[in-house]
Amino acid sequence: MNASKGLNLALFGALLMATTAPSQAAEISFLTHWGPDTVAQLDAAIDKYEAANPGDTISVRAVPFGDLLTTLRTSGGGAGGATIAGIYDAWLPDLVRDSLISAAPEAIASDTKANWPEGVVSAASAGGSLYGIPNEIDVYALNYNKRLFEEAGIAEPPKTWDEFLAAAEKLTDKSKGQQGFGLINSWAAGVLHPFASLLVSNGGDLIVDGKPVLDSQAAKETFELYEKLITSGYADPAMATADANTTGPFLDNFVSGKTGMIIMANWWESALKAGMGDAFADVATAPIPVGPSGDKARSISYSWMTVVNAQASAEEQDAAWKFLSWLNGPDSGEDGASAMGEILMSMGILPSRTSDGEAFAERLNEPFLEGYTQTLSDAKPFPVVLGGQEFSESLQQTLEALQFGQVSAADAQANAQADATEILERNAQ
Amino acid sequence: MIGRTSRSAIGMLAPATGLIAIFVFVPMALTIGLSFTQWSTQTGFDTARFVGLANFADLFGPTSIGRDFRAAFTNTALYTALSVALILPLSVVLGLMVHQTFAPGGIVLRTVLFSTYMVPMIAVALVWSKLYSPTEGPFNQMLGWVGIPPQSWLSSPNTALFSIVLLNVWQQVGYFTVLAVAGLTQIPTTLYEAARVDGASAWTQFWKITLPLMRNTLLFSAVIAVINAVQVFEPVALITQGGPVNSTNVMTYHIRRVGIERAQGGLGSAMAVTLMLSLIVVIVLLFAFFRDREEQR
Repeated sequence: MNASKGLNLALFGALLMATTAPSQAAEISFLTHWGPDTVAQLDAAIDKYEAANPGDTISVRAVPFGDLLTTLRTSGGGAGGATIAGIYDAWLPDLVRDSLISAAPEAIASDTKANWPEGVVSAASAGGSLYGIPNEIDVYALNYNKRLFEEAGIAEPPKTWDEFLAAAEKLTDKSKGQQGFGLINSWAAGVLHPFASLLVSNGGDLIVDGKPVLDSQAAKETFELYEKLITSGYADPAMATADANTTGPFLDNFVSGKTGMIIMANWWESALKAGMGDAFADVATAPIPVGPSGDKARSISYSWMTVVNAQASAEEQDAAWKFLSWLNGPDSGEDGASAMGEILMSMGILPSRTSDGEAFAERLNEPFLEGYTQTLSDAKPFPVVLGGQEFSESLQQTLEALQFGQVSAADAQANAQADATEILERNAQ
Repeated sequence: MIGRTSRSAIGMLAPATGLIAIFVFVPMALTIGLSFTQWSTQTGFDTARFVGLANFADLFGPTSIGRDFRAAFTNTALYTALSVALILPLSVVLGLMVHQTFAPGGIVLRTVLFSTYMVPMIAVALVWSKLYSPTEGPFNQMLGWVGIPPQSWLSSPNTALFSIVLLNVWQQVGYFTVLAVAGLTQIPTTLYEAARVDGASAWTQFWKITLPLMRNTLLFSAVIAVINAVQVFEPVALITQGGPVNSTNVMTYHIRRVGIERAQGGLGSAMAVTLMLSLIVVIVLLFAFFRDREEQR
């Protein structure tokens, strides 16, 4: 009798626990390349989430941008790796091919399609499935130093390549160690994206339908523009070096007023503010000058997204998507903004969620960012293809060889097209 | 009796040799095997597809794979040759300065020299990247004081690799100086006393006594210096990212780029195998060189 009562009590207790216990707690981690100040903001958002969702714990792992893909590939993709990672859209096809990241659940995919622009959703998708929640969109614009423009007697930013070269000539003053236009080297995106921005503003493209089109007339003119900048001394490649943190002399030279113009993405606003202080007021932005074969000012854009480790347990994946949905949702920040949007805006990065664009409308209309938001609608997405990283590094090498006068514009164009063809064909197999 | 002794020896050696087999020979054999396959590092070994010598053919072929590999190989060879050529003579000179008893300060100098070896590479890289800054770096400012124009250091493909070599020499020379001092202490002082009685100058003593009797130390130092130099990775990853124009793209960094970033495991393994074979050849040549010098004596 006593034994039977005891068994009944135990069964009742087990049923009670099964019906009232919260969903299984999960420990998840977030891999990012953000700097300490931004990580602190992410930590604050995580604290807010954990307070509202007791049980789940989220830790942040930060690595330099130069190590992000390697970290993701070596440890991030394993069961013990980071549950969530922020990735660059160009890496997506290779990570999907290697089954490193999981497709978003249907509810997340539907919500994302409803609340983000179609092009951004497309960049976060592969084979018809959404793999990440987009967060930032970056676009390139001409940055120039108004004080140097005034000193050189230039009234307004160049709108065409002819005006651009004329401005570069006036801004170049070797006696002051001052260059008209700042190139970037030793960093693939830093080399490629400004070149690609000038190329699309000249009516060209890097890749069309998975095939390189660097043998076009527009590309020829863009390679020749680079050659002209170098041979005329308007751009000094020795002032163009970048380091693993995407800072270095190229940034130092613009910050210290030794570079008149440079083509860079909106995300470097925080680096400029930190480096320039009050002198940041001297920086202005403008659309990319239009080349002789171009019809209007264009630029290139790329996006970032947060993805979930396919090797993580089902509980961890569920917890990760739940957290990402909240982080990128309209209730996690202030006044209808997402917490992710707030984090991105603190760095001068454009959030890609439609409602964030509305929530930060005033901030996005500030002079520095306005130059970027104006050009966003005419921006072409940087091509996302299998072997994109290898393609980028190969073209980087060719452009750097051109920067340092190791090859002519004609040879650089021929090499770039031949290498890109071989790389893309091999990776497509 | 012999059988029991053999069994006993095998039993005692087994734990160590077993660990070596597991952690050294198995990975080496695996790398060699994978070098004949097409394999993504993000997938299991079962997905590796045998392609024969295709990866090695690519390394020596005309495509960007071959060009980048050969450039990285040449950079590594240059880096190694320059590092060894600077470190070994410097370590002997500094070793003599530390070892001598005519002037005070030998122990302090030894401590200062060795301290650079103990500084973590991340700190060295951060500091040296600023020292080398072309516009605001202290090196160019100091050169300016003596009328030498600013140098491009890490910013030019012509000087970037040599700048990394200088950084390496600065950090490693203390360690090799300690090795040189250890070699110098092994030379009997009676030889120098006898030489002085015979009227030999300090220069003659160095060439006829010190250097020949440091042969084994120098061989050891050369082998370690070559291996260290071939394995260079941190300064490239932290400062130059292989640039500009791949001028500092060394083998370890390139293998990481190909094998991990691009997940081309078979190709990366073929590069690693080629590097390993080259290293073996260099080490064998070093031993042959020093043996030849010994026989000439």
